[in-house]
Amino acid sequence: MSIIAQDTPGETVLLMGNEAIARGALEAGIKVCAAYPGNPSSEITGSLAGVADEFGLHVEWSVNEKVALEVAAAASFAGLRGLCTMKQNGLNVASDFLLNLNLTGCEGGLVLIVADDPGALSSSNEEDSRAFAKLGDLPLLEPATFQEAKAMTKWAFDLSEDLGLPVLVRTVTRVSHARGNVLLDELPRPTKKPRFDTSRPRIALPVLTNHKLLREKLERAGQVFETSPFNFYRGPEKPELLIITCGSGWMYSLEAVANLDLNERVGILKLGTTWPLPEQMVLNHLSKADHVLFVEEVSPFLENNVKELFAQNCVDLGLKRFSGKATGTLPDIGELNPDIVISTLQDILEVFYEPVSAEYALRAKEISDQLVPERPLGFCAGCPHRATYWAIKNALALDGRDGFVAGDIGCYSLGIGPSGFSQMKTLHAMGSGTGLAGGFGQLNAFGLDQPVIAVSGDSTFYHAVMPALTNASYNKSNLLLLLLDNSATAMTGFQPHPGTGKTASGQDAPILDLEVICKALGAQVEVGDPFDMKATTETILRLLQDVEGVKVLILRRECALVRGRTQKKLFNMEVDQDLCLGERCGCNRLCTRVFKCPGLIWDEIAGRARIDEAICTGCGVCAEICPSLAIRKEVV
Amino acid sequence: MMNGGLRALEERVFDRDLCVSCGACVSLCPYLRSWQGRIVKLDECDLAEGRCFNYCPRGKVDLNELHQRLFGGPYKEIEMGMVRSVLMARACDSVWAGRVQNGGVVSALTDLAIKEGVIDAAVLTDREVNLLPRGHIVSGREDIMACTGSIYTSGPTLEALNRGPWTGDERIGIVGLPCMVLALAKMRTSSLEKRTPIDRVDLVIGLFCTWALDYKSFMGFLQKRFGDRTIGKVDITPPPERIMKITAGDELHDIPLDEIRSFIRPGCHVCPDMTSEFSDISVGTVEGEEGWNTVLVRTERGEELVKRAEAKGVIESQPLPGDKLSHLKEASLLKKRRAIDALKDRGELEDGYLTLSRELIQQIQSESKEAP
Repeated sequence: MSIIAQDTPGETVLLMGNEAIARGALEAGIKVCAAYPGNPSSEITGSLAGVADEFGLHVEWSVNEKVALEVAAAASFAGLRGLCTMKQNGLNVASDFLLNLNLTGCEGGLVLIVADDPGALSSSNEEDSRAFAKLGDLPLLEPATFQEAKAMTKWAFDLSEDLGLPVLVRTVTRVSHARGNVLLDELPRPTKKPRFDTSRPRIALPVLTNHKLLREKLERAGQVFETSPFNFYRGPEKPELLIITCGSGWMYSLEAVANLDLNERVGILKLGTTWPLPEQMVLNHLSKADHVLFVEEVSPFLENNVKELFAQNCVDLGLKRFSGKATGTLPDIGELNPDIVISTLQDILEVFYEPVSAEYALRAKEISDQLVPERPLGFCAGCPHRATYWAIKNALALDGRDGFVAGDIGCYSLGIGPSGFSQMKTLHAMGSGTGLAGGFGQLNAFGLDQPVIAVSGDSTFYHAVMPALTNASYNKSNLLLLLLDNSATAMTGFQPHPGTGKTASGQDAPILDLEVICKALGAQVEVGDPFDMKATTETILRLLQDVEGVKVLILRRECALVRGRTQKKLFNMEVDQDLCLGERCGCNRLCTRVFKCPGLIWDEIAGRARIDEAICTGCGVCAEICPSLAIRKEVV
Repeated sequence: MMNGGLRALEERVFDRDLCVSCGACVSLCPYLRSWQGRIVKLDECDLAEGRCFNYCPRGKVDLNELHQRLFGGPYKEIEMGMVRSVLMARACDSVWAGRVQNGGVVSALTDLAIKEGVIDAAVLTDREVNLLPRGHIVSGREDIMACTGSIYTSGPTLEALNRGPWTGDERIGIVGLPCMVLALAKMRTSSLEKRTPIDRVDLVIGLFCTWALDYKSFMGFLQKRFGDRTIGKVDITPPPERIMKITAGDELHDIPLDEIRSFIRPGCHVCPDMTSEFSDISVGTVEGEEGWNTVLVRTERGEELVKRAEAKGVIESQPLPGDKLSHLKEASLLKKRRAIDALKDRGELEDGYLTLSRELIQQIQSESKEAP
């Protein structure tokens, strides 16, 4: 049984932050959850999908975040509680709907969880999604602990119903992906029948009336927040330094203050409701300290909002010193950690702290540098994308016109690096590769003679590539799109999508055929096997050089990890040690130096390549690249 | 003298636009491929020394050293290289007439060499449907016939030598342009581990060549001019006329050379070799004598084959008239002079691909005359 479904109120269990959020939603009695996967948010909906049948929920992987929010909003409009989850980029996609939804308001509790990725550990951008709360006049909560992640999510539904507004909950990687103790509450089983109240249409018009209403709701949220238990202060009555923090910044601040033994000098105001600000509470604490440090992830959101508040009240408050990201005191890019906060406090309060001696730290680093192998981001062993990029690389080299790949979001984004032979030269949002390639295709008329190849995964295709492809067809662009169909949303954890024939909760679903869709969208469609790199290279060259218009080449091979779970190896691989040329002229380690599948290893002592049996998935692809036919495959 | 690997090949040959697409560097490794008349680098190779640069006729060429090693003496025959005898010849068997470029001597000698077991197979050049030249391994008359004629574009003939397939003990003959013959000389004398059948190449017939056209740009020109009409025989008339006569569809067309000069490969402008000086036998046209070939016999085995061909009535020959010979020498020397001038213009006379002593350069400059 899933731990989030454990019906043992009063028990404390160890939950991942995202599981705690999911549990909070269950305790709130949601009926609908819709999401598009994206790190670090995916486990919320993933774990709810696992208990959907048990709790009678509708849990879906929607094709994109905007649709997901619409699906969850429909539940709310009909009086049920709806949850929607996404990563920060997802909110950009959903924002168009969100910034109308704020005006129409909602009925049943509607909570939107956005998981930000400070440091862009698994993202194409670093973004602070909290800006949308301010932009859309929407209440915003930020959990700092696992217990809060659950409790805040649960409370967010009450708040949403109280205000008639969707509530944003912003989490970050270190809250979502770490684990901690969570106290379980009751699991309700709501049986409310949904009904859309046609007497209360959800229409933003007249806009000004609704905008005024929205402002009033937000003001009321501010009043509610004044007494929220998620906001509290710990520290001396009149601290020398006041830290205002939220989310993971609170834990870092606690650790820093404790390590530096500054409990008598530093106070921490921890806010869980960060928009609108609990103004009176904040002003009260501002009045007791002359120096304020803001510790928060990504943008100086709290910092600037508090400074705005201060500016309105400065006559009463007098001079204050503010430090944070905006003042350059803390780094304004990348992820925070306790060490950064410690070092900042050392500087501000002129205290000395050395957790380990500098000499020891240096030696430890030297040793670990020697022991830890360099591991650049790369495709898994047997990944079809490596074979695809090999074909792309060769096709573009042979074509000789300095062509390039317009990239998209997915595992294949690694085409920017050595694993994809650095073929990818643009990378932006979901679907942008095809949109850009369609645009480049229009520049042929002005003399652009570089061929452009767009790539898209199957899941990304349904998410945002379809409009771009439609546009290219309609506007008669010249475009080659490679659809890398690995039958999974691999990068985020193998969630099913419209091409897989399964729903989030494991039920059968109609397969939306990529070929049929692409043809319907006006493209000439071919299907190939990426493992046949020679044929794929030739097909790409032919489509680039001889075929005008919008072309889609579907390269179909299951993700190696999915294949590994369900099927046995295709081949047993072996490197003939007598035939392997190693570093000699004629090879120079093509397989381990350039192709670099992790299943191939370089035996430095023997001066030959070998197969790493533990890692090789037996796809057989490397046999095609070996110039001396030393890599042999034997059908299993 | 010939250090360098793929990086040197890229910097000193590809980037300087000196590649002549002879194919000597192709099919030795997975890093280079020939594609539509160009040699393409697919990946980086960081070896300090590699056969690709080592064999390249635009890599590093020290004529004197090569000559010393292959002919056992210094390079001093500055007009046409080492020559044992010169004659004018043509094939006797009418089977070659009409197919071949001139006298059919190359085809007849190749045919004889295979028939007599001098060689078991030969690497010639044929053309794909799209006229793309490629190396072709032949072992009989039918195959030789498929490789006759020229369209004046260079192609990676030597790739076929590197690629095979070979059984491992056949003796091999090759017909090639001066750049290919030079590459073969470099292959023979290379100190690197070979792993090619170069040591079984027993006969090298070199062709005369003033330049070759770049396949892709020339094809673009033909396509523009003749559309989808089939291109047949291509000939260039001797000076002073110098017109390309080309059969497209059923018609014969004249194209003045000035219209196609821009398609000449830059690597040809720096080539000092008109007569394939490192061959066993070199064969070209005879100025003003249609249906005959000039034949330069350079080595003992070349001489043996030519004598056998005469004795068997495969070719007939007569001495090359004195005025034709001196014209040939003039033209050959002039190509050297132009190569030196071109290298000078490129600023590559000192640190270019070609190593020539100051004395030889001066000698070439003083003895060459501009053509009328």
